[in-house]
Amino acid sequence: MLRELCRKMFPRSLWVYHANSGGCNGCDIEVLNVLTPYYDVERFGIRLVGSPRHADVMLCQGPAMRSTAKALRRAYDAMAAPKLVFAIGSCACGGGIWYDTYSVLGPVEKVVPVNFYIPGCPPRPEAILYGIAVAVGLVDKKVSPVKLKQLEFPIPRYHPEDLRTEGEMVVYQKQGRV
Amino acid sequence: MSLLSKLKETVICLQAGRVTLPYPQEPAKPPAGFRGRPIFNIAKCIGCAGCANNCPAREILVHDICQEIRIIQYVGRRCTYCGRCADVCPEKAITMSPEFENATNDIGDMQQRLELFMGTCQRCGRCFKEPGPMEQLMMKGYRLDLLEQERWVYDAKTYLDREPTVRDIEIELG
Amino acid sequence: METSLAVRFLSGGMNIALVLALAPLFEGILRKVTAKVQSRQGPPIWQPYYDLLKLLGKEDIESGESPAMQRFASWLSLAAILTLAVLVPMGTSPPLSGAADAYLLISILTLCGVSTMLAGLAAGSTYSLVGMSREMMSLMTLEPLLAVAVVVSVVHTRSMALDAVLNGSAYVQAGLPLAGILMLGVAIFAFQALIGRLPFDIAEAETELMDGSMVEYSGPKLALFKFTHMAKLVVYGALLVSIFAPWGSGLPAPLNLFALLAKLLLLVLVVTLVAATHARYRIDQAIRYYGGLLGLSLVALLLALYGF
Repeated sequence: MLRELCRKMFPRSLWVYHANSGGCNGCDIEVLNVLTPYYDVERFGIRLVGSPRHADVMLCQGPAMRSTAKALRRAYDAMAAPKLVFAIGSCACGGGIWYDTYSVLGPVEKVVPVNFYIPGCPPRPEAILYGIAVAVGLVDKKVSPVKLKQLEFPIPRYHPEDLRTEGEMVVYQKQGRV
Repeated sequence: MSLLSKLKETVICLQAGRVTLPYPQEPAKPPAGFRGRPIFNIAKCIGCAGCANNCPAREILVHDICQEIRIIQYVGRRCTYCGRCADVCPEKAITMSPEFENATNDIGDMQQRLELFMGTCQRCGRCFKEPGPMEQLMMKGYRLDLLEQERWVYDAKTYLDREPTVRDIEIELG
Repeated sequence: METSLAVRFLSGGMNIALVLALAPLFEGILRKVTAKVQSRQGPPIWQPYYDLLKLLGKEDIESGESPAMQRFASWLSLAAILTLAVLVPMGTSPPLSGAADAYLLISILTLCGVSTMLAGLAAGSTYSLVGMSREMMSLMTLEPLLAVAVVVSVVHTRSMALDAVLNGSAYVQAGLPLAGILMLGVAIFAFQALIGRLPFDIAEAETELMDGSMVEYSGPKLALFKFTHMAKLVVYGALLVSIFAPWGSGLPAPLNLFALLAKLLLLVLVVTLVAATHARYRIDQAIRYYGGLLGLSLVALLLALYGF
């Protein structure tokens, strides 16, 4: 019963550890903006802590570089369960513009498992707040995959049902359709 | 470090009241001209793949799956919202919408995939082919974009092992 | 006093329950008022309760030099503060006053400080050792101050029993109680340092700046340390109030509790305003400050000894 209460309190007080593994610091500044009075995130109970052992959420920013991959993995392993990882910015979500340079291994999810992605370059502080709200469960997410097709085929094509096998031959007999 | 200056500072801050934006409760409008997520309009797209050519993060993939159908896929992972695709598009089919609330728990949610019908020549029934071999190498059909693995490769290199993108590099975490 | 054992245990339990329930509430008020001073909306008042519950539900990672000592240190710190709570009058006379005297009070005050140092030593990482060494430096100059405050009362009342000492006895003097007023000033200026809040939170809440002496603790052990930090405000505040400002403790039963709560609330507001407007002191600036206060407190002790 106490365990249930503790689990319910988890979304209400998330302690955040910020790990920048090689980014340009644009997303750093946006994360800093979120902690200022204008976009105050402490009203959700979120606090910035300096040690991964105290933290629940790791905010990863910047792509996973060859030099910092080990350190990032160690910081992730040092966190106590239950833990979440947010990948903030395009670099952490997919490698960013630097995805094929010599020192970048790729997105952060090559090194630590990511729970939530907040894309943007850099994401606005409101976007980061929105991502936190989605993670905590306050709002629903707004993006979904979009698949569009152009359905008209104005030039006549061979309809498969007009093909008829006769012995060894395949005969195309138009049934009067266009 | 005088006490009086600290008191004055407190009074000034208290006079400012509460400056916090009530963001999640009230929607926040970004400034005009803000570049959010690009939206592809299939009614206007002609399939020229100029956006794919111009994307600095190579985030738009083009695949000709047969003579008449071309798939243009915007994989939203690495997009930096620079707007070059929208600048280059001759039909203004791409708009940088002011949507910045793009957080998700599965990054595949960001993709937009357009299946386009490409016009063929009415005499030979084939799609237009570039005149010389150099131009043919630049043509999108010769660049084989592997849509399942979200990779952009030239046709000469398509005999690679087909491994998924995310796990193809061995990282030594000693 | 001839109160029965059951009544003593009951009031002792009530003291402990009061500290346990009020400590996160005062911390919540502190965070909310800090936020208002910084012109923003802060966390809800009940936020520290949520924090503590969440920390209790996390996994406990055993790391650091000696995990057994870490477990011991986390329990020791909370136990020391709660033992202090039953020795301090909160609305009633101190529950265990028949079993303790002023000397035990001073010793347990020192134990509270030592347990935080033990926490830093047990972790053994570089950051925690630095935090621990700074805490040790502050402790060496602050504990004498507390001891002198109690000793001034002992000198005035010529007895070491807790009932007499913790009953506003700094002012028991004919004429102008110089020593008492000087000691009151010193105690007010040293209070921020004793409870480890912002201008002087060099070792404990330095988790925000560097990682303090609590860097290797996670989950339930961290919850105990945070609780200790919050409880220090209540217990030290009650101690201070009972030595220097005991007016209202003679009232009948619920009213003296409310008087105590009102005084503690005022103290929390003063602490918050000071904490929200000051920057953190460096360790050498802080030691110089404590040294000055210690000198003044020794002057107060001399005055008390000579009958002022």
